[in-house]
Amino acid sequence: MKVKIAAIGILVGLALIAQTTRTVWDGVYTDDQAKRGEGLYAKDCASCHGAELTGGESAPPLAGDSFFANWNGLTLGDLFERIRVSMPQNAPGSLSRQQNADILAFILKVNQFPTGKTELDRSTDILKQIKFDSIKPKS
Amino acid sequence: MLHLRPILSIVAMFASAAGLASAQFVAKDTEWPSYNADVHGSRYRPLDQINASNFSKLEVAWRFKTDSIGNRPEYKLEGTPLMVNGVVYATAGSRRAAIALDAVTGELLWVHGEHEGARGAAAVRQLSGRGLAYWSDGKQERIFYITPGFRLIGLDAKTGALIPSFGKGGVVDLKLDDDQTISAWNDKGEWVPDLTHGEIGIQSAPVVAKDTILVGAAFREGMTPKSMRNNKGYVRGFDVRTGKRLWIFHTIPMKGEFGYDTWLNGSAEYTGNTGVWSQISVDEELGLVYLPVESPTGDYYGGHRPGNDLFGESIVCVDLKTGQRKWHFQLVHHPLWDMDASSAPILADINVDGRAIKAVAVPSKQGFLYVFDRVSGKPVWPIEEKPVEKGSVPGEWYSPTQPFPTKPPAYARNGVTPDLLIDFTPALHDQALTVASKYKLGPVFTPPTESKLDGKLATLTLGTASGGTNWPGASYDPETHTVYAFACESCMDPIGVVPSPKEVSDMRYVMGTAGRQVEIARGPGENAGADSPPPPRQRAPQGGGQGFYGLSVQGLPLVKPPYSTISAINLDRGDLVWQVAHGETPDFIRNHPALKGLNIPRTGQQTYNIGTLVTKTLVIAGDGQFTTTAEHPRGAMLRAYNKATGKEEGAVFMAAPQSGSPMTYMVNGKQYIVLAISGGPYSGEYVAYTLPSAE
Repeated sequence: MKVKIAAIGILVGLALIAQTTRTVWDGVYTDDQAKRGEGLYAKDCASCHGAELTGGESAPPLAGDSFFANWNGLTLGDLFERIRVSMPQNAPGSLSRQQNADILAFILKVNQFPTGKTELDRSTDILKQIKFDSIKPKS
Repeated sequence: MLHLRPILSIVAMFASAAGLASAQFVAKDTEWPSYNADVHGSRYRPLDQINASNFSKLEVAWRFKTDSIGNRPEYKLEGTPLMVNGVVYATAGSRRAAIALDAVTGELLWVHGEHEGARGAAAVRQLSGRGLAYWSDGKQERIFYITPGFRLIGLDAKTGALIPSFGKGGVVDLKLDDDQTISAWNDKGEWVPDLTHGEIGIQSAPVVAKDTILVGAAFREGMTPKSMRNNKGYVRGFDVRTGKRLWIFHTIPMKGEFGYDTWLNGSAEYTGNTGVWSQISVDEELGLVYLPVESPTGDYYGGHRPGNDLFGESIVCVDLKTGQRKWHFQLVHHPLWDMDASSAPILADINVDGRAIKAVAVPSKQGFLYVFDRVSGKPVWPIEEKPVEKGSVPGEWYSPTQPFPTKPPAYARNGVTPDLLIDFTPALHDQALTVASKYKLGPVFTPPTESKLDGKLATLTLGTASGGTNWPGASYDPETHTVYAFACESCMDPIGVVPSPKEVSDMRYVMGTAGRQVEIARGPGENAGADSPPPPRQRAPQGGGQGFYGLSVQGLPLVKPPYSTISAINLDRGDLVWQVAHGETPDFIRNHPALKGLNIPRTGQQTYNIGTLVTKTLVIAGDGQFTTTAEHPRGAMLRAYNKATGKEEGAVFMAAPQSGSPMTYMVNGKQYIVLAISGGPYSGEYVAYTLPSAE
């Protein structure tokens, strides 16, 4: 009986873990947030990273394969921190956490990750719970 | 075994034989005294302790993180260090300090950083840059580097202390004495003198040749300039002992100077940029300097600078002592594609059809290697002026022809045509055709497009802004007269222009996409803060918001592999010897559901910032992207190729991609390879590799 309860407990625990391991495929930002991010991106990012996120002479693309290579297997929190600490290159740390989250939402939209009902949080710790993978995990 | 002396020591031999009052410093084969190993741009050392049989056994000897050199970590460390007399010298950190490290242990010996306040914060080129310069007269040793705020610093190589007799207390303010008043736009929209915010700077390493320090100039990214007017990128030579300016070369001619009338309607008066932001090469024996010149103001729109615009996107040869122009060749007339001459011209002594030629070979973003007699400027093989398509952007001026080298053949893709599109499967190819249908395609020099929602969004290009071969340039093997050039074959740059609102730029057109807000590059302090009011929005045209036409198909590159290559080009014959895809196939390709079951050869990667090192037997370069494979955890591989055949002989793991070009040296009988790695979440680090110690 104890073993059975323990086994059920483990199964429930695993199910809970599966539910809370979110990825960028789970609708982790909203369309409105991405729209706000689009304006911010144009002002603070496009001059180096390109209007179409294709990159430029001194900045890498923020869409597609090259971009995925840097961040696949890591979390949105890792990407958020990189942006927050070092971007824009001529004034790093000058954008608020909210602005950075909005820009990140826009980047996710351009990369065609699905929208959802909740905005991207501006806390690094919370964003670290969202796994980044360009390939949709099998459901 | 044939052992060839490095060119530098041969030069020194001639110099001392001629009794010239030049540097008595003679670099050894085992040292790396200049950014590119020597001032010929070779990136070559005749060392082979590390060779095909043991490359894969390399171990990390030491590593140096640059996080604390500055007020924040840097994630793009692009430096190539120097090594002389057992000491490694490099630039490092967001401070762009000069550092000295023990070449065997990596121990920090000294650091020198300049705190430039507002002028540093306003710098157009931030982070640690690409390197520094060393000079010695056999007694004194000096290190020279240029700060983000555009000041030339002279340091005692032994201590890192400023040299009081150099410039003013060790500093030459490069924003002064530049035959122009460095200016900036003030709040009222007036162009006024401003040393703090005036746009000019540099990332590349200064070059020391004989007793002259050579300095170029760089500006902001030029795709969306605030104005048709800008500061100009003249080139200067300074005295290595005193810092006194010896000469200046006007890359945009002044009235009365040769080339002034190639800027119609007096546009040379206000047009700027046109600097030498890349590495300068020098023939010290002949006293000749080779300048790779960048684009004029407005990378993609030249309507305000009609004419060929000399010396934009040219190679110019000037006298080392006087800066006087000896010859020039414009690689692109009336530049419209951001085809900056992006890397060090390579000096090569070759034999073509029985003739010995002192040549200079210029790698390029556009995939051509232009080869000239470096004394006379005459092309070694004919370069033909051929008609090119005329564009139709309002107010633009077009050159009816452009130069096309006949030899060597283009070594990398330029232009985009349907046959280059992804073809792993017919379905992917069809999707690519759909994406591409929104763009204008065509061969090299297809003109930029006025972006229209009901027309074409842009001209799709390869071999333009990104390249092709970009700032890392190529390497040269003087033993076999072979150039080794890395090139991106898949770094697509859509070139579309849109009308610019007056409050954004005084240029009629700047880079942009129809339906998207036009914004220009903003400097720090200009509305960059969280509390600053938002800038005026351009009203989106009707039909805006049609969605993003990404230049990818299901995340895959729009063009087919190879995504990047290393090419070996023989300069005696002007032909391609071998070409390989360089760089691990990206994870996304190996794991992509649409490609399951396909056997895809190594593809290379979409990166343009990889430089090569050539030794007695190997060509060495690292991957530019993170991958995770069955063979290695998340990271990148440093690879060694057989320089004769291109066969990969070995590879060793790096924790992050190569971001600065590798160099090599030998100390106490042991050979080391050092390179900068960084990217994504991994902050900058110099890593030194060496063979395992003998038991």
